Amino acid sequence: MSQSPWARIGMRNLGRHPKRTLLTAMGLAVGFFASVVLVGWSQGLVNQMVENSTSLLGGQLEIHDAEFLPERGLYDTIGGRDGVDLDQLLTRATSDVRVVAAAPRVYAGGLVSSGNSTVAGMLMGVDPEGEVALSRFLDVLTAGRLPRPGQNELVVGTEMARQLETEIGGELVVVAPAADGSMGNDLFTLVGTYRTGLGEIDSAFAVLPVEDLQALVVLSAGRVHEIAVSTQDPWVAEEVAVAVTTAVDGDVLEAEVVPWTELNPALVEYARLASSMYGVILVIVFGLAMFGVANTMLMATYERRREFAVMLAVGTTPWGVVLSVLYEALALGLFALVLGVVMTAPVMIWWHNAPPDLTGLVGEIEMMGSVVSLTMQVEYDVNFAVMTAAALLATAVVAAFYPAVRASRVPPADILSGL
Amino acid sequence: MPPEDTRRAVRTENLSKIYRQEAEEVQAVRDVSLTIQPGEFAALAGPSGSGKTTLLNLIGGLTRPTHGQVWVGDQELSELPNRALARLRLDQVGFVFQAYNLLPVLTARENAEFPMLLQGVSAPERTRRVDELFARTGMEGLEDRRPGKLSGGQQQRVAVVRAVASRPALVLADEPTANLDSASSDALLDLMDDLNRELGVTFVFATHDARVMDRCRRLVRMMDGGVDSEETPA
Repeated sequence: MSQSPWARIGMRNLGRHPKRTLLTAMGLAVGFFASVVLVGWSQGLVNQMVENSTSLLGGQLEIHDAEFLPERGLYDTIGGRDGVDLDQLLTRATSDVRVVAAAPRVYAGGLVSSGNSTVAGMLMGVDPEGEVALSRFLDVLTAGRLPRPGQNELVVGTEMARQLETEIGGELVVVAPAADGSMGNDLFTLVGTYRTGLGEIDSAFAVLPVEDLQALVVLSAGRVHEIAVSTQDPWVAEEVAVAVTTAVDGDVLEAEVVPWTELNPALVEYARLASSMYGVILVIVFGLAMFGVANTMLMATYERRREFAVMLAVGTTPWGVVLSVLYEALALGLFALVLGVVMTAPVMIWWHNAPPDLTGLVGEIEMMGSVVSLTMQVEYDVNFAVMTAAALLATAVVAAFYPAVRASRVPPADILSGL
Repeated sequence: MPPEDTRRAVRTENLSKIYRQEAEEVQAVRDVSLTIQPGEFAALAGPSGSGKTTLLNLIGGLTRPTHGQVWVGDQELSELPNRALARLRLDQVGFVFQAYNLLPVLTARENAEFPMLLQGVSAPERTRRVDELFARTGMEGLEDRRPGKLSGGQQQRVAVVRAVASRPALVLADEPTANLDSASSDALLDLMDDLNRELGVTFVFATHDARVMDRCRRLVRMMDGGVDSEETPA
């Protein structure tokens, strides 16, 4: 026997009532499973919202003229009236290894008409190829193809197409105030439609090549409103923004690099709120489990009062009795943790790599400027899993403390006399 | 004040124990003054309810007296804190109970080693002592069995080994033969008698078993919680 008998006694006591031990451990293990999966799912939803919000249209960073936001004025182009060397700016903006792509954008408010139907919307000039590398909204068109520069072609959202009662090949008249004070207008051909699922985009954004929009609103080739930048990980956007600011500084005075966290603070707050709930989840789940463990340990120690009396009679200190019960609880916790990991790991791996899709049941959900497809996508969070494991073990030990103290206070003479 | 005679294993002075059962008071031990010398092989004898087990528990520090004092060696017990009482039981007192009271999750060897573990005796020394005592008690080969796989006699022998292996000066045995057949009782008493004679361990029994009383060299007869008479059989 090892120098301290308490661990061995604790471990062996677990084997005396295997079914009871298994049931109690399952309570803790299910708590571990529920916490890790629930938080993993919550993080999956948050990540999906952030991913959709930033990669669908906006990008993780935006480079603007300092005056551009929030009015999005036509004249507030990067570099002012002189514009910038766009190729050099794009090269500098993508110099950080964490940057995936960057592309220019021009915006103008305007009217799009087809026959008797007119829709007010946002004209968005893009580099179609660069945009596909940067964002997702033009990746898969619902119909048609991307517009080609110099051909007076554009794509619109499905909702705008419906409102205009037009279809692929239809002619659209586009009217927009130009930078020279005139009213730019031209005839365009609808070559494609897209769908993001966000009504405010699908009904309002007409997308055309950046050169065509610059021509329509009389902006020179170097004048763009925005360089959208995508990063590998949305959560490093703030760090990358600092790096990009340094990279482009000097080329374009008055420009600012804004990460999505500043552009969409509500989403950041939601993510923060979700994180703050994780601790609450642990408290609720293991708080409930604690009563189960305490009940089991009370029963177990009550049944063994005679053994504790013998231990005390032969010279064990009350603290020794407490230790023997706490070791038993710790062993129970370790067993439950193994069970919990065995239950949780396969589900996490499965749902991380091939999450069940629930959109068939509830459809897509539009939330905070993002479309969320309800899947069981879970994210791994090793830190939270370790925290949950610690909470499980702490629950087992804390729940056993009162039964342990009771066990240490059995009156040996009375118990051994059968009183 | 401790008594002047320091050559004693146990001494009680005016020892009383009163239990309260609901509104009624039961005087289990009544004003007992008694001295047990080192090396004695003595029995507290008497019928059920005479107070012998309670007196044994008071001597062993398992319960506290209502009045009076009790010394084990030089140590007066009535005011000792629980931790110090536990240490005294560990180092100076061995217990043998009627119902064996081995820890069911430990093997025979582990049960026998248990008090020595608490004392901090080294593993080789524990093994040596247990091997020697198991050889003397005919328990060789049964060291790795748990109590549930041992007969009553075998369990009681393990309990005796547990009681003496930690080298206490005093062993308190409460009806140690009550659950044993005659042959097992005789073997167990032979063992304890040998340990008493060879190691000088003081044995005090609480018993109403004539076989035990026949072996003891001093009989303290108890009645209604008090000492009724004393005998020193030839």
